[in-house]
Amino acid sequence: MGRTRQALMLCLAAMLASGCASEVKRAPAELSAAQPEQGRRYATTLAVEARPESGYPRSIRAGTEFVVVGRVAQGLVLKPTQTVLTIEGAHMHEAYAVHRDGQLVGFYLPVERAYAALPLPASMPLQEKNAP
Amino acid sequence: MTKNITRRLAIVAIAALLAACASGPKHSEIQSSIPAMKAGEGRLYVYRESSMMGAAIQPSVLVNGKVAGQSKPGGFFFVDLPPGSVEVSTSTEVEKKLSLTLDAGQTRYVRTVIGFGLLVGRVYPELVDNAAGAKAVAETSYIGAPLAKP
Repeated sequence: MGRTRQALMLCLAAMLASGCASEVKRAPAELSAAQPEQGRRYATTLAVEARPESGYPRSIRAGTEFVVVGRVAQGLVLKPTQTVLTIEGAHMHEAYAVHRDGQLVGFYLPVERAYAALPLPASMPLQEKNAP
Repeated sequence: MTKNITRRLAIVAIAALLAACASGPKHSEIQSSIPAMKAGEGRLYVYRESSMMGAAIQPSVLVNGKVAGQSKPGGFFFVDLPPGSVEVSTSTEVEKKLSLTLDAGQTRYVRTVIGFGLLVGRVYPELVDNAAGAKAVAETSYIGAPLAKP
């Protein structure tokens, strides 16, 4: 009887935990102009797989175009031009990619004006695009 | 006898599910009645694809804290807003919010989707890109406030 109750409690706890995703961990970040890169357009040359701490993986397809909208302390802030990027925890947030040294290091949340770091940076090679 | 009752119950269930789907005019029928965006505003389309899954779960959709419409399978509505930050939320078993930016003259699309919950299904708002959003809205029915005739 005790074991059955324990098993039921464990099941219930697991179900509750899966229903209560954690909030996206973030820290305030100031977006400043990125000279001389501001306004430049880049495209990813390979697909990017990111695994944010909140547990919802995100992928960016090869060829996705970004425009530089500024810089935060952690890197260059790239806004997707044709698609959307979000990160998710308990809630969902529009996000821009933060790029440094050929890697996606985290996300800038434009509404919250905050930076959410990736536990493990993901390789994100970029190629500059010429004006159309 | 049991078979007969089961069949009748199935018919009632199907009828109830069909009744739960959006029944307004198709996007193509009202496209010309959709007013042009005012200068200095942006437009947010909110839609839900047609699906029997979780069809009976139709929560209100709040935009910046105010009820703007309902998440109904196969339905869409739109809201014009001043530029800035936008928060879209739905509340079922849990409240799920989506935060996004909206520029003047910009159109954005939010899809509400059904997810699994502990006791009942949950409806989440998701930001989608404009190409996918416009395509999906074209296949849904208008469930927003009545539109003036052109």
